Amino acid sequence: MNDLIKKLVEAYGPSGFEDHMRDLIRPEVEPYVDEMSVDALGNLITLKKGDGSGLKVMIAAHMDEIGVMVTHITKEGFLRFTNIGGVRPHGLWGSRVQFANGVIGMIGSDRIDDRSKIHPLSKHYIDVGATSAEDCPVGVGDAAGFVQPFFTNGKLLTSKTMDDRIGCVVAIEALKRLETTPHDVYFVFSVQEEVGTRGAEAAANGIDPDVGIALDVTITGDVPECPPMSVSLGKGAAIKVKDSGMIAHAGLVRLMRQRAEAANIAHQMEVLDGGSTDARSIQIANGGAAAGCISIPCRYVHSQSETVHADDVQACIDLLVEILSKPIEL
Amino acid sequence: MKTFKLLQTLSETAGPSGLEHEIADVVADVWQPYVDTITRDRVGNLIAIKYGEGPEPRPRILLAAHMDEIALMVKQILSHQGNGFLRVTNVGGVDVRHLYGQTVVVHGKRALPGVLGSLPPHMLPPDRQDRPFGYEELVVDVGLSLAEVETAVSVGDFISFRQPLRKLQGKQVTGKALDNRASLTAVTLCLEYLQKRAHTWDVIAVATCQEETRLLGAYASAHSQRPDTAVAIDVTFGKGPGANGENVFDLGDGPVLDIGPNVHPGMFNALKDAAKALEMKVHVGTHNRASGTDAFGLQIARDGIPTGLVSIPLRYMHTMVEVVDLTDLERSGRLLGEFIARLDDKFLQTLSDGMMEKGDSKR
Repeated sequence: MNDLIKKLVEAYGPSGFEDHMRDLIRPEVEPYVDEMSVDALGNLITLKKGDGSGLKVMIAAHMDEIGVMVTHITKEGFLRFTNIGGVRPHGLWGSRVQFANGVIGMIGSDRIDDRSKIHPLSKHYIDVGATSAEDCPVGVGDAAGFVQPFFTNGKLLTSKTMDDRIGCVVAIEALKRLETTPHDVYFVFSVQEEVGTRGAEAAANGIDPDVGIALDVTITGDVPECPPMSVSLGKGAAIKVKDSGMIAHAGLVRLMRQRAEAANIAHQMEVLDGGSTDARSIQIANGGAAAGCISIPCRYVHSQSETVHADDVQACIDLLVEILSKPIEL
Repeated sequence: MKTFKLLQTLSETAGPSGLEHEIADVVADVWQPYVDTITRDRVGNLIAIKYGEGPEPRPRILLAAHMDEIALMVKQILSHQGNGFLRVTNVGGVDVRHLYGQTVVVHGKRALPGVLGSLPPHMLPPDRQDRPFGYEELVVDVGLSLAEVETAVSVGDFISFRQPLRKLQGKQVTGKALDNRASLTAVTLCLEYLQKRAHTWDVIAVATCQEETRLLGAYASAHSQRPDTAVAIDVTFGKGPGANGENVFDLGDGPVLDIGPNVHPGMFNALKDAAKALEMKVHVGTHNRASGTDAFGLQIARDGIPTGLVSIPLRYMHTMVEVVDLTDLERSGRLLGEFIARLDDKFLQTLSDGMMEKGDSKR
């Protein structure tokens, strides 16, 4: 599985520029699904058909990552940029970004006079080695993702884009293991989650599912001086009850929990104060869906060293298979 | 007396946003005698339909009053010398200033009564005397050992507030969740009114879910029910000491009809006409953008739904001592009933014609 993780987490795909990600995922899922399509926003929508006795279930994992976009090129050839999604200025200085055409740039910042403060994004720039606007290999509007190799440290897996390529991995691995299901299961690899869960909203409007489950990362409360949060790395799949964007369907939460308990899958309950997932969009699309989320606990979310635990990833796959392979009663 | 009993039943029932099954059961029982069908949808709405007497296909009006209430949720289980305490977070717009000292029910494996505790003033350092406790300083104490708490409660369990409905002087009453059980009471009285007053349109009464968090029930029910028009019923700010400016209203002086971009002017006018027919005093509330009610979700469902908004004045919103005047609930119910009874087969045309009229508003 680490080969698949490495392939997906090192790849390029800021929100709105997911074509490459879609090309990577398509061959992974093609042998296991009955139908596959790409909608107008770029969502990769796949369907594994059920035996007709179940519900219409939408599983969403987002392909996009946070990144930056060029807003201006100075006459000396430096690129000013804005954020795509939740990019914070902490830790930007000295990091590397890569554009769709392969060009890599270093991030620098304007002179720092007061070291107790952090420059805003607008006082950072990207250096791609150009000497003028004319010889600059990228232009205004080009988007870049961060560059970081995947690395493992025992069972800890670290990369720039565990959010949410690890969710894509959970979806793909569950799909491989899901031999039969009563449900028509739409595995959606969604776009533009990081800029407002927009891909999943369009996909859910089109699919009109009864049940929607997002697969995404959540933060943990197991590092020094962090806000109180009861999710810990290595303690299992996190079953979301609430985040700042939605309250999960109480019946679906109950079912997830019962399935985890019955199958002896390590799990923990998640109440997240900040952030949300594709599930919030699925919940409110059309006449509404019973929505929930299986979260992969992750430290340092939206940094370039997002870290998950291999056992948690496995627990999330196991739980998803357990839910999808049996009837869903809410 | 009857209105008090009705509001009491609704107000004292638990219904945190996202866990509305208890209050939905109660509303279903209350509405059962007045409607033809009752169903629940997949997000948690309770949808009751009372058929009109017009020929099919009949136009349909949707009444939305949310049944959910602000609440808390278990975020962490803490251990202290063998006892278990709960750290909590908010569900909806909870006012943290008044949490200390409230009584609650933890909806764990069984319902556990509890209190919200923190340090008494005697034990606070001087620099903490003058500010309210935050979530990190408050605990819910259910009086059990850590082991017992861990058996009965888990992270993610809902916590509802406990507070009996009490009478103040005159027709004023105080309690919890009057936002928006006051409006559910008004809708109930409207359905009762329509037992004696003929109406041609179908009435879809929806006790909506999750209004306090994201207007979920309004969006979902308006989409699934495809009504021709809709009215949201919710509470608005009552006048009181310090609250005397615009868009605050006297308790007991009648319902408030809202106007603004969130409301169709034709719906506003028709509600006003109904009040006139009843010789009922009403007030006008204004919004320049979103109304902060289910009307916001109803209005843009499907290809757009002409939406009205009726509001009931209430003091001390989002506390456990919300105050309303029962006569406002009764008048709102009668107003909605009369408005519906007056709907005819030309009403929809009137709405679109009205939008095209030039010159001064007829208001």
